[in-house]
Amino acid sequence: MTLPAVTGDAAVRARAVPFWRRRPGMGLVGGVVVGAFAVLAALGGTLAPYRPSAITGATLQAPGTGHLLGTNGIGQDVATQLILGTRVSLVVAVLAGVGTVALGGIVGIGAGWSRGWVDAVLMRFTDVVLVLPKLPLLLLVGALTGGSVVALAGLIAATFWPMTARILRSQVLTLRSRTHIRAATGFGAGSWYQLRHHILPDLGLLLIADLIPAAGRAVALQAGLAFLGVGNPAQPSWGAMMRDALNYPYLFETSAWLWWLVPPVLCIMALVIGVTLLGTAAETRVSPRLARHQR
Amino acid sequence: MSRPYRSPHLRTVGLYALTLWAVITLVFVLPRLLPGDPLASLSDPSSGNFLYDPTARAKIAAYYGLNKPLVNQYFAYLAGLAHAQLGWSISQNTPVTTIIARRLPWTLLLMVTALALSSVISFLTGVTAAWHRGDRIDRALIVALSAARTIPDYAVASLLLVALAVVVPVFPLAGAKTAFASYSSPFAAIGDVGRHMVLPVVALTAGLAGNKFLTVRNTVISTLGEDYMLLARAKGLPRRLLKYRHSGRNALLPFVTAVGIQTGFAVGGALFVETVFSYPGMGTLMNAAVTARDYPLLQGSFLVLATVVLVVNLVVELAYGRLDPRVRV
Amino acid sequence: MSSPRLRVEDLRVTYPGNRPVTALAGVDLTLDAGSCLCVLGESGSGKSTLAHGLIGLLGDAEVAGRIRLEGEDLADQGDWQRVRWRQISIVLSSGTALNPVLRIGDQIAEPLKVHGGASSGAANARVDALLDQVGLGPWAAGRFPRELSTGQRRLAMIAVALVCDAPVVLLDEPTSGLDPQTRRELLRLLGALRDEGRSLLMLTHDLAAARALADEVLVLYRGWVAERGPAAAVLDDPRHPYSFGLLNANPSLGSVKELRGIRGDPPDPSQVAVGCPFVERCTQAIPACVKQRPPEIPPDGEDGPRHVACVRAGLVPVLELRAITKSYLLRQGPLGHQHVAAVAGVDLTVRESEVVGLVGRNGAGKSTLAQICARLLEPDAGEVRLEGTDVLALTGRDLRRARARVQMLFPDPLEALSARFTVGRLVREPLDVQEVGDPEWRDEEVTRLLGQVRLPASAVLDRRTHELSTGQLQRVALARALALAPKLLVADEPVEHLDPSERAKVLQLLKTIQVERGMAMLLVSHDLGVVLRVADRVVVVDGGRVVEEGPSAQILRHPAHPVTRQLLEASGAEIADRFSGLLDPV
Repeated sequence: MTLPAVTGDAAVRARAVPFWRRRPGMGLVGGVVVGAFAVLAALGGTLAPYRPSAITGATLQAPGTGHLLGTNGIGQDVATQLILGTRVSLVVAVLAGVGTVALGGIVGIGAGWSRGWVDAVLMRFTDVVLVLPKLPLLLLVGALTGGSVVALAGLIAATFWPMTARILRSQVLTLRSRTHIRAATGFGAGSWYQLRHHILPDLGLLLIADLIPAAGRAVALQAGLAFLGVGNPAQPSWGAMMRDALNYPYLFETSAWLWWLVPPVLCIMALVIGVTLLGTAAETRVSPRLARHQR
Repeated sequence: MSRPYRSPHLRTVGLYALTLWAVITLVFVLPRLLPGDPLASLSDPSSGNFLYDPTARAKIAAYYGLNKPLVNQYFAYLAGLAHAQLGWSISQNTPVTTIIARRLPWTLLLMVTALALSSVISFLTGVTAAWHRGDRIDRALIVALSAARTIPDYAVASLLLVALAVVVPVFPLAGAKTAFASYSSPFAAIGDVGRHMVLPVVALTAGLAGNKFLTVRNTVISTLGEDYMLLARAKGLPRRLLKYRHSGRNALLPFVTAVGIQTGFAVGGALFVETVFSYPGMGTLMNAAVTARDYPLLQGSFLVLATVVLVVNLVVELAYGRLDPRVRV
Repeated sequence: MSSPRLRVEDLRVTYPGNRPVTALAGVDLTLDAGSCLCVLGESGSGKSTLAHGLIGLLGDAEVAGRIRLEGEDLADQGDWQRVRWRQISIVLSSGTALNPVLRIGDQIAEPLKVHGGASSGAANARVDALLDQVGLGPWAAGRFPRELSTGQRRLAMIAVALVCDAPVVLLDEPTSGLDPQTRRELLRLLGALRDEGRSLLMLTHDLAAARALADEVLVLYRGWVAERGPAAAVLDDPRHPYSFGLLNANPSLGSVKELRGIRGDPPDPSQVAVGCPFVERCTQAIPACVKQRPPEIPPDGEDGPRHVACVRAGLVPVLELRAITKSYLLRQGPLGHQHVAAVAGVDLTVRESEVVGLVGRNGAGKSTLAQICARLLEPDAGEVRLEGTDVLALTGRDLRRARARVQMLFPDPLEALSARFTVGRLVREPLDVQEVGDPEWRDEEVTRLLGQVRLPASAVLDRRTHELSTGQLQRVALARALALAPKLLVADEPVEHLDPSERAKVLQLLKTIQVERGMAMLLVSHDLGVVLRVADRVVVVDGGRVVEEGPSAQILRHPAHPVTRQLLEASGAEIADRFSGLLDPV
């Protein structure tokens, strides 16, 4: 084959969005997956055959009638735990997503808008938080605070806001240098007016596009933290199921891993991928608008 | 030339020192900042944190020295750190420093191997994908590495464990070396450690490679339209030089930045992956500490890991100038 | 003569896409050893495509035609890879033409190591020698591109191009963005390379650089050769309507002239014209122009090496005077009539959309000539041809129609415009006389014409001449002259009676309208300063004869005749001062 050249049309193609972002179908798949889990979470109580902590059968019973996905090491129904585990994942995802974007938004927009020393201080602080190893910090603080859903979401938000803050700050700085905002200054519009009527509306979509990946990260993190033992042990969650399964001494000497370990892993993967697909779709919706603005 | 104390390098070092101080202080302040008595939940049987052992509770209270004035507590804490004393582990009844010194090398082994491996993989695949942008190979790489990036490390690790240690038992299930093994030669020992490392490293590498792959691919694509690439092709240079010397060199700075930022992710990933494979590093240590609510051990682990991450980031930042002449002022 | 080093035959390049863009539509060129060919063109003319095409870097574009280098056909990438840098190299001029992360020395040595298999030591020695040759010195080898100035980078770039001793060097805008000092050094260096026997192909829009270096010039418009020929001929006296517009639009020409543009905008690049691609913007287009590609032929009146691709053989003459003489009766005495010769054997040509300045001292015969051009005076002998027809032979209706094609502007508008008429009536008069359109249309046309000369119709229509300033009156006279849409405007000292601010306004207006309408103009003045500002070509008359003739730039830079020098001095030191920097670009 010949050497690639970037000329004419090829140059345009190189800058185009990657193909997977162009397919509306992928966003739809993500939406369906996330929607399905949301239904499971909402109807959890009525759908689940048993109570999560109830010991309903023999230990390590293989899947069959009565126990669709078998039982775990102490005889609890795996399917029930799986269904009710959806709830924690989604609640933490939504809360942590909103929290991350809110914190990042306040710091980022604040820094970008005020500039000067406020900006310098806020961004230095942001850099400090950004460089900290997040998981050890979450483990430490999570262990200190206990593992309630709200506390967990708050902690995730408190460790992951810096990336959002950076993106938003640079966006505010770009917006501020736009002509229409300068024009507004020109006819005497005050700082607040510009922020409310120009900057925030322009940032709105970006905030939403940022919220979805933050939520996806939170799903992975919540499960991971539960897997490492941070979380309310009374509350069923996918991470805790993995933890219990792997901690079971003879897991791999039976074939129980097949219905005890693998299903929560697959659920986590499905939800995370679903949210990510949804996020990329949202980003695609947003970026042409941003691109148009940037002209 | 600016005077030495104004050099950008010293400034960078200063900023990192400040960050380290912030981390140290955070560790001191956190338990004292939390609402109410930070240790109340330990003695509250209804809390998830309830600690059954009353002597352990007493030891923790003593460690925090909560009955002394705050300033004294702070200076006692700093003095301890200066002597590499990270406190006393409740669950293991051993100095935290000793425990961490035993565990940290294993984690570093995993992290460094995975970072190095993922760097090589992502650089090569990134340049290749960019060079073939839009082709089938590019699409395949994007899908594969995006998936590797999205799926959490512990999920990848669990699936690898099931697939390659259980269903097809090629690799060992757990640990860093075979228990109670005696080796005929040092090579046998290295081989054993290596075999135990494979799955954790693969799981860790997958996630790390995904991120950097996209960085490299996008930077390389942006260089392809530049005139120096046109000139390089006009010079009739062989493809290898075009790809790695002319185009790849330009992607190096963002790439190295990504590697620096990834140290933090690598630490997190290592903690997860170790737990899945019961690898005797910081991950299993912190996991056990969480279970036992062994706060001194948790804090010590956090401090050590944070220091590792900060040092790596500092080194990366200092290395920029050497790697990329564009950064030099 | 042996075969040329580089020969390109019918090179056609099309970039694929939803709307394919044809960047080159059949270009032929040859390049000999030790010569410099300069390709001139606006952005989008296909210059870069040509440069990239000549080193085989057009990627996925469709390429047809033939490129022969030293008698060898270059067809596929294998061929190109074999000749790149060893036989043909390129100098790129953008800021990113050198890789920012590699040292200059390494970038120079690279092709030598790859193609020549040179050892590090040999390569380093060669790099140092080259850096000396281009005027930088070995110190530059260890630097990164960032650490050099734009000019130094350009010199380093040339060192890169020379490293394998390629006999053919392509130069893509080599002088862009350089300060005058560096530019001069660079041109000197390139000149030396050409004299060593290298072949240079320079793609540029820097006319001064072309003037300094080029042996031959090729003017490119939309991927198609509009004009080609010896550098001096094409640059000083462009004959294709496009190259005429391009060369006169260029600020670096070294003249004091006001800029002129080419009327209209470049057309959609994805459209491939069947006929002449310049037809939409051309002022002399005829139906034949759109039917087929014009062949390259010598322009009208030449048979030399220069060619234009124009159905009408380049710019057509609007007005031709041949051997005109005119004398006035001085005294009628018993021994016979005593005559004084005002014009003694003058040839003068005014071509399509060209502004010719006619200068001379008082009494040189300028006004006589002007009036002969407008056929207000009959010459004693000679021929006057207007758009090819002999005007002197015309009578009646034909003459009336011919008169509409040439209009005249007189020195003093107060005298030229009747004091009895209102402005509206004055401007309308020629339309009435020639019976153009119906009366209502004429009224509208008057308003439009006044608008064109920047006079508010509502305010001046009913005024009389004494109510307006001289400048305003001259504009009324101009509107009146334009009413019949003449092909040639003869302006006899049009700003003589105006004060300086009005003078500038009227001159600007004249030029603007001339470009917009694609009208030719003969500007008569004793003030060379005025003429140089507007004219493309200058004719100096003295004692009824033409003493010097040439492009404005040349008259300004190298006035040959004493009268010209005198006129130049008389028109003020101001020109000399303001434009001294432009006088000698190299």
